[in-house]
Amino acid sequence: MSIPREAYQTLQSIVGPEWVSDDPAICEADRYCSLSSPSDEQRRPGCSIEPASTEEVQAIVKVANRYKIPYVCTSTFYSAGTYARKDDSILIDLKRMNNIEIDEKNLYAIVGPGVAFSALQADLLKRGLITFVPGCGGNSSVLANTVNMGDAPIGWRYGLGYQRLLGVEWVLPDGEMLKMGSLSMSNDYFWGEGPGPDLRGLLRGCAGHQSKLGVVTKIGVKIFPFVSEELEPQGLAFHSHMVLPPNRFKWYNIRFYSREDAINAMFEIGRSEIGLVVMTVPPMFRSMARTRGVGCGGFWEAWKENGPKVKPNQEDLRVLLYGIGSDKRLEYEEKVLLDIVKDYGGSPREAPCRDETNFMAADAICANVVGGRFSSEVSYESINQAVRYSRVVNEITDKYKPRILEDYGTTNWVCPYELGYIAKMECLRMSSVENRDALDKWHEDVHEFCATGGGSTIFPEDEIFGPVWGNYPEKEAKIKKAFDPNNISAPG
Amino acid sequence: MLKVDEYKHQAETCVRCSYCKFPDLNYIKSSRFSRQCPIDTRYRFNLYSAHGLLHSALAELSGKLEFTPKLMDALWHCTLCGGCDTKCKRNLDVEVLQVIETLRCRCVEQGKGPLPEHKMLADNVKSSHNIYGADPKERLNWMPPDVKPARKADILYFVGDPMSYRRPELAQATVRLLSKAGAKFMVLEDEWSSGHELFATGQLAPAKEMADHNIKAIKESGAKTVITSDAECYKTLKVDYPKIMEKSTEDMPYTVLHITEYIDQLMQDGKFKFNRRVPMKVTYHDPCNLGRLAEPWYHWEPKYEPPNIAVGKTWRRGEKGVYEPPRNILKAIRGLELTEMERHHDNAWCCGYGGGVGTAFPDFALWTAGERIEEAMTTGAEAIVSSCPNCKDILGRAADANNAGIKVYDITEVMLRAIR
Repeated sequence: MSIPREAYQTLQSIVGPEWVSDDPAICEADRYCSLSSPSDEQRRPGCSIEPASTEEVQAIVKVANRYKIPYVCTSTFYSAGTYARKDDSILIDLKRMNNIEIDEKNLYAIVGPGVAFSALQADLLKRGLITFVPGCGGNSSVLANTVNMGDAPIGWRYGLGYQRLLGVEWVLPDGEMLKMGSLSMSNDYFWGEGPGPDLRGLLRGCAGHQSKLGVVTKIGVKIFPFVSEELEPQGLAFHSHMVLPPNRFKWYNIRFYSREDAINAMFEIGRSEIGLVVMTVPPMFRSMARTRGVGCGGFWEAWKENGPKVKPNQEDLRVLLYGIGSDKRLEYEEKVLLDIVKDYGGSPREAPCRDETNFMAADAICANVVGGRFSSEVSYESINQAVRYSRVVNEITDKYKPRILEDYGTTNWVCPYELGYIAKMECLRMSSVENRDALDKWHEDVHEFCATGGGSTIFPEDEIFGPVWGNYPEKEAKIKKAFDPNNISAPG
Repeated sequence: MLKVDEYKHQAETCVRCSYCKFPDLNYIKSSRFSRQCPIDTRYRFNLYSAHGLLHSALAELSGKLEFTPKLMDALWHCTLCGGCDTKCKRNLDVEVLQVIETLRCRCVEQGKGPLPEHKMLADNVKSSHNIYGADPKERLNWMPPDVKPARKADILYFVGDPMSYRRPELAQATVRLLSKAGAKFMVLEDEWSSGHELFATGQLAPAKEMADHNIKAIKESGAKTVITSDAECYKTLKVDYPKIMEKSTEDMPYTVLHITEYIDQLMQDGKFKFNRRVPMKVTYHDPCNLGRLAEPWYHWEPKYEPPNIAVGKTWRRGEKGVYEPPRNILKAIRGLELTEMERHHDNAWCCGYGGGVGTAFPDFALWTAGERIEEAMTTGAEAIVSSCPNCKDILGRAADANNAGIKVYDITEVMLRAIR
């Protein structure tokens, strides 16, 4: 055992022997998180511990500081970067902290880090309320996503997740407690900006603090009224979906033959303040959805036939209209949408009134079924910049022969939020053993463009991009040092 | 058991998204019943999940990890319910369950497993051809004197160890039902254990011996259709036997039907009707072995084309389980009201008995069943009905242990009550 015996025994006394282990198998299973290809950077922790309360987290962090043992926290393991980068770290697994309190009157929920979106959403839907489910999936942590960016397609109407972050209970890297927003003045999570300190931006940074600034143990998250009708699940296995009440929802798939028209239509839909979800649908994504359940081979068979048919400048929008409050509202939204579509020469087609991904599931991970592993570049910008970014990324990609992924230039996804004030551009490329080097180079080229051409990514710590983005890495390091002088909260 | 290259490939394909720990997200109705995996829900460490076990499989294969006490504990606590497998295949198509089964086989091969309780099962089948070590001459003692099976028939009733020795009332209910349905059926004079728990615990040599014997006996009997009312026997005859023979289910010399499939088909054909009211509100528990694990087996020699195309593979993703026949039957009984639990069909929570867990970890099995009982009680049902003797056994014990006041029936008992 590499963690000092005395420290380990203290940890046992904090959580009870059942909830801490230094067995190599327990620790090895906690080595890798999702979305990160296994590498030597990811180290096997020295022990894993599962606290059940904020007090236990504080006590663990204080032990870590006393013995100078690095620690890192995680919860659902569906995360981008929370893994031990140092040997003999303490892995704090927060999934037992899964309490949910719902304040129906004041429309917020209080959740611990172990609460997955699907669990919270289920409890809310029963009450005619709703939260968002991020693109990565309903199996991810509400707390981790909300503290970070928290993007979800219904953010078109409800904003990005971090704007719904209210009171925060935060165990600082040295074990001290910081309560933010209204929580600092009273035992109430109802407001994030005050009274009291509001340092939520520090936690969010550009891509989340990834456990480098201690442990957020509880948050208040804003929730919204929703339709009273039940969203009924149907279908087995990969065919499952939610049936939406047709008097309240309507999906439209709209094809434009000029990207400019599609973008202008998107702006206009925003100005008109209609819709719950508005996004572009790259044809390759649509093909993935349609071939669901036929596996990798089935996808490629279909894509080889459909991909070449994608017309240059073709841009498909997918819009979910929402009769918030009344059926009349849906009628109004539909009329406005169809007027806008007509003005910009689009071809609208009503789609089945059901949902696979926006309310509960969000199966982004299914992209991996087409083979290899998906790697993405993401930026949060204005719609115009997202489109420009998409175009340049395509130009960069075109230089690669053979192509990294035969996508016919159609894997760049533009998903706007807040009625079009901000947009995410996410471009996916598939990595496999054969093209891993090319993909690494592609990432470098994209970052080079960001550094020199005014784009942005969510990876400002990148050595190419960071220096031109206000020396973000240096600032991040300064903040880290101020909060964590012992450098034991997820160092490395 | 997967061959090494395929085992490694499957384990490597996991992206650790943790979807394997949840029911189909679209079906989650409350945070209380929002988990799928019993070991994950009870023990919480990541090792106690498909995600953790797949990574352990890779680490063990590469020599980075041995079968430590915790790895053994997690591996043998898994009920092999397959919830993880079908959830993964909603997105990623990893053969999760086959990797876990292979990890068990590797544990046995290396002499680290199985557990003593599992070893005893193998000793028992060796000495007496049933897992209990009971006298093989008493195997058919349950047969009611008024029921006379045929000497030769197209239908063969495969009874299985649990009903032959522990739950004779369910075997009796089954043959009475077959008789009422006018089926001419026979039973094997020398039925051996199906070997279900031996397959589950990685003891493939004695399991194959059971399979060889039973397949030969079925073939020699001349029966075309094997009917069973035991979900574990159903899955073993339909899936495990062809699998160990490196064949597909369709290539086996018999067709397997669960009693619910048989009766449902008769009902659809207008040849069978329930004629007695059973006034009762019930909920149905899908046994894993009759639900998501019950799809036909398709033999496949691994062959891939880039980027990851499994050439010629037919997938088993849980959607073709025997879900509707038992429900059709319950709905056809006058006076009986069927209500669903939150987790049903391919999302059903395991009863806790499977995978050798009921044998080696009865307390954990009871805890898992207790969760199911609690879920059943939220429906307001007076009874929980299942289609497997071991489900009935462990759910019944959990209901008693929790003073739940909910009755537990096998579907054969309910069907029998519904006919004069």
